[in-house]
Amino acid sequence: MAEVFELHLRRRDLGKLVAASLALSGLTACAERREKIFPYVRRPAGVVPGVATHYATSVVRDGFAVGVLAESHEGRPTKIEGNPEHPASLGAAGVFEQASVLDLYDPARVAGSRGPLGLTSRESLERELSAAFGRGAAPWLVLEPTSSPSLLRALAALRARFPRARVSFHAPLAADARYAATERLFGRPLEPQYRFERATVVLALGADFLHDMPLSLRHARDFATRRAPGPAMSRIYAAETTLTPTGTLADERIGLAPSELVRFAAAVLAELAKQGELATALPDGVKSALARGAPLGETEAAFARKVARELARARGAALVVAGPGTPESVQVLALLANAALGSVGRTLSFVEPVPSGQDGALPLAKLPDALRAGDVGALVFAGTNPVYSAPELALDELVARAQSSFCLAHVENETARACGSVLPEAHYLESWGDARAGDGTLSFVQPLIEPLRPSASALELVAGLAFGFPASTHEFVRDTERARLGLGPASADIGFDFEAEWERNVQRGFVEHSEFAAVNPTLAPERAVPLLEQALSAPSSASGFELHLACSPTLYDGRFSENAWLLELPHPLTKQSWGNAALVSSRTAAMLGRHTGDVVELTHGTRRLRAPLVILPGHADGSVTLELGFGHAVADQLSHGVGVNASVLGVPFGTVARVEVRPTSAKADLALTEDHWLLAEEAVAHELTLASYTQNPPKYEHDLAAQPSLLPSFEYAGTQWAMSIDLSLCSGCNACVVACQAENNTPVVGKDLVKNSREMYWLRIDRYLTGNPDAPRVLQQPMLCQHCEKAPCEYVCPVNATVHSTDGLNEMVYNRCIGTRFCSNNCPYKVRRFNWFDFSGARGATLLQRNPDVTVRERGVMEKCTYCVQRIRRAEILARREQRRLRPGEVVTACQQTCATGAIAFGSLDDESSEMLRRRREPRAFAAFAELGTRPRTRYLAKIRNLDGEETGS
Amino acid sequence: MAALFPPWSNRALRIALVVVGILAVSALCFPMVYVRTPFVTNEHVALDQPVAFDHRHHVLDEGIACLYCHTDAERSAYAGLPSTDVCMGCHSQVWNQSPLLEPVRQSYFSGRALAWNRVHSLAEFVYFDHSVHVARGVACEHCHGPVETMARVEKTVPLDMDFCLDCHRNPKEKLGFDAQRDFSAMRTEDGRFPAHTGHAVTELTTCSTCHR
Repeated sequence: MAEVFELHLRRRDLGKLVAASLALSGLTACAERREKIFPYVRRPAGVVPGVATHYATSVVRDGFAVGVLAESHEGRPTKIEGNPEHPASLGAAGVFEQASVLDLYDPARVAGSRGPLGLTSRESLERELSAAFGRGAAPWLVLEPTSSPSLLRALAALRARFPRARVSFHAPLAADARYAATERLFGRPLEPQYRFERATVVLALGADFLHDMPLSLRHARDFATRRAPGPAMSRIYAAETTLTPTGTLADERIGLAPSELVRFAAAVLAELAKQGELATALPDGVKSALARGAPLGETEAAFARKVARELARARGAALVVAGPGTPESVQVLALLANAALGSVGRTLSFVEPVPSGQDGALPLAKLPDALRAGDVGALVFAGTNPVYSAPELALDELVARAQSSFCLAHVENETARACGSVLPEAHYLESWGDARAGDGTLSFVQPLIEPLRPSASALELVAGLAFGFPASTHEFVRDTERARLGLGPASADIGFDFEAEWERNVQRGFVEHSEFAAVNPTLAPERAVPLLEQALSAPSSASGFELHLACSPTLYDGRFSENAWLLELPHPLTKQSWGNAALVSSRTAAMLGRHTGDVVELTHGTRRLRAPLVILPGHADGSVTLELGFGHAVADQLSHGVGVNASVLGVPFGTVARVEVRPTSAKADLALTEDHWLLAEEAVAHELTLASYTQNPPKYEHDLAAQPSLLPSFEYAGTQWAMSIDLSLCSGCNACVVACQAENNTPVVGKDLVKNSREMYWLRIDRYLTGNPDAPRVLQQPMLCQHCEKAPCEYVCPVNATVHSTDGLNEMVYNRCIGTRFCSNNCPYKVRRFNWFDFSGARGATLLQRNPDVTVRERGVMEKCTYCVQRIRRAEILARREQRRLRPGEVVTACQQTCATGAIAFGSLDDESSEMLRRRREPRAFAAFAELGTRPRTRYLAKIRNLDGEETGS
Repeated sequence: MAALFPPWSNRALRIALVVVGILAVSALCFPMVYVRTPFVTNEHVALDQPVAFDHRHHVLDEGIACLYCHTDAERSAYAGLPSTDVCMGCHSQVWNQSPLLEPVRQSYFSGRALAWNRVHSLAEFVYFDHSVHVARGVACEHCHGPVETMARVEKTVPLDMDFCLDCHRNPKEKLGFDAQRDFSAMRTEDGRFPAHTGHAVTELTTCSTCHR
């Protein structure tokens, strides 16, 4: 970015330019810029220029759908919100849903088809693909796991037409362990459904259940209903290798290496088995297998005893959750514990697995041998990138052995580079489709925009192969739906209005009550014995460090690698932007003699990986966490050289492996935002235990209005905007940060400027670690403009560019700002951002993502959170048009809307019914830096931890 | 020795000082006055348009209301120009051979939009909303002038911030509203706000009313 401003001018030339500019500057006023207006020729129905519309659609990842509402301005999608009616969203949207809209306008999207013999048109490539499927050796199709009834129908037809065709499903984060565990115990794979609103005591075993499960948004909503301080508050225990957003919200957590996690789960179950009533649920074989495990450390064993005691006490309302990345043994132990605790049917139920079509599918691991044997005709990758995510298969070299190779890709990724032909993949906002949510709810993918370039979805490709190109996915999805409803061809509808039903469902985004029915499987606990014996008797003292692979909280499995919002988004816990790292505890780093920023070399067998080290307090000792999704190898792309690719070590996700870690003398250049925007030394965030809170409520400074002030007083009346943020509910997941960025046209600045502390987020999440450095307590505090009634920024502005409104907003007037930056220097919360360069100068299609209701700021202008003033004014205009007052809860800020736990509440101080005001009156509400007399409108609620007596380990 | 300066030089110096003073003040004031002149605000400049559309005929002769063509004024920030099919709604039946309407027919059949010249443009930083002004009873003429008398539309008011604030500072007096429809009925009656800056601010003159 900076090179734009490095002009190499000689002094004389500069003088000439300055003189010429001065002389000609007056001329600019002489000729007014004439704008043209282009009205529609034929106005599309339902479009009112200037009025946004919302359409229901679904975001699908690894076969699981989340219902969303996409905002459309004159036909261009600009923002994603959760679908309040959809059971997997309940109105919330996560980081990936929020950021997915930017991918639609990605300039790095595959521009056009590329094929052999100079084939560049989509039609010719499709013809070529169809022909290749029918000739030569048997074709092989590699897809993302899917739950789409339409895609499964198309696959069945494809197999009927090409009986030799082989199909593989590949996802780097495939959660096969839970299906393996349920298959072992119940005889068939099942999808666990957790009910956190019913759970009084929860044990999370390596489970970031608020963040990386298919129903996480729903989990977060349910979890939040039980976290109000009081007798009904649930108690959450977490045992995990790395620190996760869920771990930060747990009342107590412990860091355990993957092998310790198995033994810990076994210890908890063994403790449960000792309790009289619970003991009968477990057969003796399991009990004796549990006894085999090597003993845990003293702290861990005490923690296991306590957790077991608490779980047993909450029998019937207890829940043990194993994360998708834990091995089958942990999943089995969690299921057994739930069975012993009587959770099944109460806090836990089971449905059929959501991704299906696995019958007859081959594992991807068989593809290399087939390729070596010359046994593959047409090889098609649709929407997957195994060359990147499964480097152990060496597909980059082997793909050429297929008779022809095709890749349907969103961006020119590693797999697309390896394949002979590339077809552009359609974005979900450009295509029709269907999928099932984590509970089985049938959801629809509805396009909002014609494809920006000729492109096809995986469904279109498979349907085209099965039935011939071009395939209309709209018709295809409709026909699938007709078949599901048991209807024949269109002419045969008698007494049933399919059109009305279809339109209702598409408008809603899903079919109501279409979730899978709960099944009641019979548990066969003795079948767990061989697995437990093997898992628990594994040697625990091998050399090296345990490797823990995790889903990236910003790039998922790497599919968002070209998404600039997500690349820049700081990690929720390490606060690392533009990259990943090998995460270790401080004790492990001390063993290695290295510190954050030093490069270490990890070795697994013959595979090596050099990765920068980042110390994460609370991480388990003796293990290393690497997050997947980074380290892409395609030159000229945004993600090139950002972070390291953990897949290179060849360890599949969800397995326990050991790696050698060797310190090197190299240093890495990391963009850590942890110490950016440092606030004063005094505590700006507070936390309490439930016991101390109920017995002895804190006395935070409440009567702020009584504080002396040099500024003239003003009596605020009428609508007065304010915000309350409950720190007990903030996991630091970052969804609000991306939502704010999408809503407010906040730019991305790049790694170099992030390192200079010039990131532009209006809303950042400050992470505080307190207590024992090896087992810290974590506080996540969203920090945004506090809209102070006595704002320190306002009186230092020489041009009145930041002033106060009558409804209590601290306003930023961009057209007045001359960029002195006095305001940001005087802001105690450090929430003001300066446009050092022309960050807004995006080119091309990316401009289409911009929210037209918010000014795009130019160089030299200060900006900051506005409490989403555009939404406030829009609601006011609507109310005035309808001659009424604002309705309670009518104004919702972008951060509030997307937050799954509902940590953020916004409203007017004169609205007695508002959740915001109710929270503000709790004794635990406090104003950040109240002692400064700024009288902020934002209040925080101290984090409450529901401890049971003594805390373990800290 | 004769005096170095003749007797009138005192007067000349005084005059020169006054002139320099006047010039200095003018140099400051001129640009401020200049930007407010119609020369810069483009008032009373009747622009040629791709179609010789005459509001006098449509409004006065035919009695077509503003909202028939500018349909969105009541529901959107933009009043909008009519799409070509609105023109053709009538002109496929009347004057459907007129050479004056050739560009409209071309647009309709080719699918290419008519390129009208913008007459009323606001500064870049302003979020103006037609719907709320219409709903609160601000007449179209208030900002657009007597369009029904114009052969070619022209700007009759400067549409600068001064013009907006003129009403926003005192809508009751300017527009003669009765109490029920008063803007301030929605919120505080006298929301004077002298804090921080010393400027009197009401909810309608708060910056984010128009600048976001």
